[in-house]
Amino acid sequence: MQQAAGRVKVAAEVVREPADVRRPAVRIVQQRWFTPWLFLLPGLAVVLGFNLFPFLNTVVLAFTNAKVLGGGHFTGADNFVRMVHDPAFWTAVGNSALYIVGVVPPLVILPLLLALLVERKLPGITFFRTAFFTPVIASIVVVGLIWTWLLDSRGLVNDVLRALGVLTTPIPFLTDEWLLLVSAMLVTVWKGLGYYMIIYLAALGTVSKDLHEAAQVDGAGWWRRLWSVTLPALRPTMVLVAVLSAVSAFRVFSEVYLLAGPAGGPGGADTSLVMLIQQVGTGLSGDLGYSSALSVVLFVLTLGLLLLTNRLNRKEDL
Amino acid sequence: MPTNPLSRRGFLLAAAATTALGVTGCGLGGGTEDNADTGPVTGDVTGEIKFQTWALKPKYTDYINGMITAFQQQHNGVKITWIDQPADGYLQKVTADAAAGNLPDVINVPPDLSYPLARKKLLLNIETAAPDAKKDYVDGGWAAYALPGQPGSYGFPWYLNTGPTFYNKALFRQVGLDAEHPPTSYAELEAAALVMAQRSNKQIAMLGLTPVIADFGLYGVKVMNDDGSKFTFNEAKGVEFVEMYKRLFDAGALIPEALSATYTGAGTKFMNQQIAWAPGSAYDLQNFKTNAPSLYANVGITKTITSTGKANLYVQGLSVPSASKNKPTALAFARFVTNAQNQMAFAKLTAIFPSTKGSMQDPYFAQDGGTDEGRVRVAAAKQLDTAVNYTPVQWSEQMTTLLQQKMSDAMQGKATPKQALDDTVAQCNKLLAG
Amino acid sequence: MRGGTVGRYVLLLLVLAITVGPFLWQLSTSLKGVTEDIYSTPPQLFPQHPTPGNYARVADAVPIWSFALNSLLVAVTNVVANCLGAAMAGYALARLRFRGRTAALTVFLTSLLVPFEAIMVALFLVMRSLHLNNTLAAVVLPGSIAALNVLLMRNAFLALPSAVEEAAIIDGANVWQRFTRIALPSARGTIVVVAVFSFMFSWDDFLWPLIVLSDPAKYTLTIGLSYLQGTFVNDQRLVAAGTMIAVAPLVLLFVAAQKYFFRGVGEGAVKG
Repeated sequence: MQQAAGRVKVAAEVVREPADVRRPAVRIVQQRWFTPWLFLLPGLAVVLGFNLFPFLNTVVLAFTNAKVLGGGHFTGADNFVRMVHDPAFWTAVGNSALYIVGVVPPLVILPLLLALLVERKLPGITFFRTAFFTPVIASIVVVGLIWTWLLDSRGLVNDVLRALGVLTTPIPFLTDEWLLLVSAMLVTVWKGLGYYMIIYLAALGTVSKDLHEAAQVDGAGWWRRLWSVTLPALRPTMVLVAVLSAVSAFRVFSEVYLLAGPAGGPGGADTSLVMLIQQVGTGLSGDLGYSSALSVVLFVLTLGLLLLTNRLNRKEDL
Repeated sequence: MPTNPLSRRGFLLAAAATTALGVTGCGLGGGTEDNADTGPVTGDVTGEIKFQTWALKPKYTDYINGMITAFQQQHNGVKITWIDQPADGYLQKVTADAAAGNLPDVINVPPDLSYPLARKKLLLNIETAAPDAKKDYVDGGWAAYALPGQPGSYGFPWYLNTGPTFYNKALFRQVGLDAEHPPTSYAELEAAALVMAQRSNKQIAMLGLTPVIADFGLYGVKVMNDDGSKFTFNEAKGVEFVEMYKRLFDAGALIPEALSATYTGAGTKFMNQQIAWAPGSAYDLQNFKTNAPSLYANVGITKTITSTGKANLYVQGLSVPSASKNKPTALAFARFVTNAQNQMAFAKLTAIFPSTKGSMQDPYFAQDGGTDEGRVRVAAAKQLDTAVNYTPVQWSEQMTTLLQQKMSDAMQGKATPKQALDDTVAQCNKLLAG
Repeated sequence: MRGGTVGRYVLLLLVLAITVGPFLWQLSTSLKGVTEDIYSTPPQLFPQHPTPGNYARVADAVPIWSFALNSLLVAVTNVVANCLGAAMAGYALARLRFRGRTAALTVFLTSLLVPFEAIMVALFLVMRSLHLNNTLAAVVLPGSIAALNVLLMRNAFLALPSAVEEAAIIDGANVWQRFTRIALPSARGTIVVVAVFSFMFSWDDFLWPLIVLSDPAKYTLTIGLSYLQGTFVNDQRLVAAGTMIAVAPLVLLFVAAQKYFFRGVGEGAVKG
């Protein structure tokens, strides 16, 4: 119980609060105890009822040998023992972890730069903003088609490099297990740019203008103001973007699936955790028990990841 | 501070407890309803049923609606609701409906989907429910729904298909191969593929896909033992087959993308003319015509290579769930849709073949009418007589993935063909037993 | 300053070249005539015989307008529910002080971590037990207040200076008044982001509506468009045209909404 409470607290601080709102002024007025809960009621009801409640079912199934079509009985921790001895599981965890390392830093930094780039009102800027957003709304299947064409051994990238005489044998973007993972990361970053860009833009809108003006009066240049006014104000957003992109990177599916195929690249070497869940649990003879166990592990690992982020973040504060 | 912290905590606890108790573990139990074998189904053909097809809208809307109207006119008081599901997500849809006991009364499932459903007693055994039906259908089609380990048969065979192989004449000519006489045996295919890779400096590959389970069958490998309880494709002939692919891969005659490609992916490579050889279905020709007209101009059509003399057969059928509330009507309608007259009409609309006895004697399947489609139709019809469904019904999604992963290990030399096959067979047997 | 502007445009064009590819591809495919290859190496970016005919054929092939109407209904409901529900929850989490706040926040955070594939069938059963399956309500409900949006709104409310609210408290404003009159207007940018995201997710969702709906008359646009890929033949031009039709409202929405993401025009504190 104690431990659980501690975990709750740490998780809650993942999205960090600026110092000045740690103790909201609201505290000084009378406020009925249930008022905040009224505000939270709709959101909590939806999330608990249609998300966490069904997930409990998955947790139960993780301890059974149930098949997709029912049947099965409790088998204790068998699924988890099986997992430990399953090389495919370790490959998948490794790939998902690697994915975080590969995509989170660019997804925190590049969209911010992009947001700064399009923030100013310039002729034609609406067009650029919209264009930068299109990868987000493009159908993932089309995205897959285009990138496969670009990165194919006879694709555009290799053709150009060969025409320039840079190389004689094509770079195996789509057939080498490592390059496949890198290519998928590239697509993830590319598709995420516009998405996180607009989160940053909304946050940029709330950066205090007074501070900017004061700094300007003090003779601070653009870079200096960016560094000492804008970035500190954006810090909570950067953490939010890091958390969101890490969570979704750990759960990557589409990009790898489209570039590396449903089997997850040569010999399955590029299978991500969600792909493994899908491979194990799909179809009418799918192994629901084992895929549920994998889902639970995915859930726990992501939670652990959040706690870790939070820990690191706090250290930096000291 | 709040005035009454206890009541609030109590509320939260109660909420949590309700949630935890409410979890029933769906996916457990169920499927025990053992009414699959209760003898012939009799009763009035009346009332409402739901009929589910797979990706036939909007092209065949008139055809399906025509059958429904005709059936409703024959039987007073029958109302058929037609639900057509789009191509994507069909498996998930059927899975969710099956798990919820919510399957429509007549449902289009290929044999490999019917197997897990029938194993859970979710489908009606048609052999006992409609004992007089068997005589109407060709043996191959009927046999496709006779599932190993299950008594009887679980679907009315609907439409059949068998594919010729397509090849790219332009690519053949480009490397100096005879475009009018494509390979007809595995040895010839290998020789041609090696020549093509060598003369084009590895720029043109013959093949786009590592072998799938049906390919083993076509090569004459014994895929399963006689009672269907164990996989056996790691026998000597299977190893020989994979060794051939390894030689092709090393020479550049199997494109590197094959290591992770899907059937659709390989199809795309054929359409953008990166590979020269692709097994297909009779209706692929229309696809080429629509999406790749310049390939269509150069496409050659030949018999599928097989060492068994029997081509691969694709089967679709209609099953009736055992939980259907209106079995008499469901059975009658499923038989109506799959009767000779209606299947013949369907065959004339698109490149499929009827599964009813005698239908193939129709002159339509012997006269090509001078068109390419006609030639494909006649060629496919000829091999239909002996064609077999080489993909065992026990073959699951998981096994497909596994086989492809192990084949790519073998191609890359991470495992010998023998090791890769032994591994695959061992793991597939485990899945089969599970 | 001049150099800065030129530099900006160079960068803008560079990023443009990287981002618009898929869009142009789809557009190009959707305009290709029947004699042109869809699959070719190298791909033909510009149609040789551009024709708008494919768009007309989409409407002939599937009842696109009634599907679109369903999608619109679902998406708009989703936007309203998300904007209101997420803003309320986000406000409580950011600006109100109460016991259990961390627990509530944790509930939202953890729900971010639940893989949808893992709960799909269970969720379907929940809807059945509520007698909601095969209704548009069942399509909307699970995503009607997304945890992601709650976090976004919380983040936005956290960034607001507390001085204004303190003044309002002194003036005797209650929580609801402070929420609607002060907090909501100041977080306008993020609310628009939430609206755009909600619309987009709901508009693009495929698998869940397919599972929960069984009456084709209630199908949404994404499901309807997948009818363009038939069992026997599919024409990629039609598929592309259908996709373009589906994407158009999203682009329009973004164009209309984008000015709210940005600070007021011309008063930029960030000058080059």
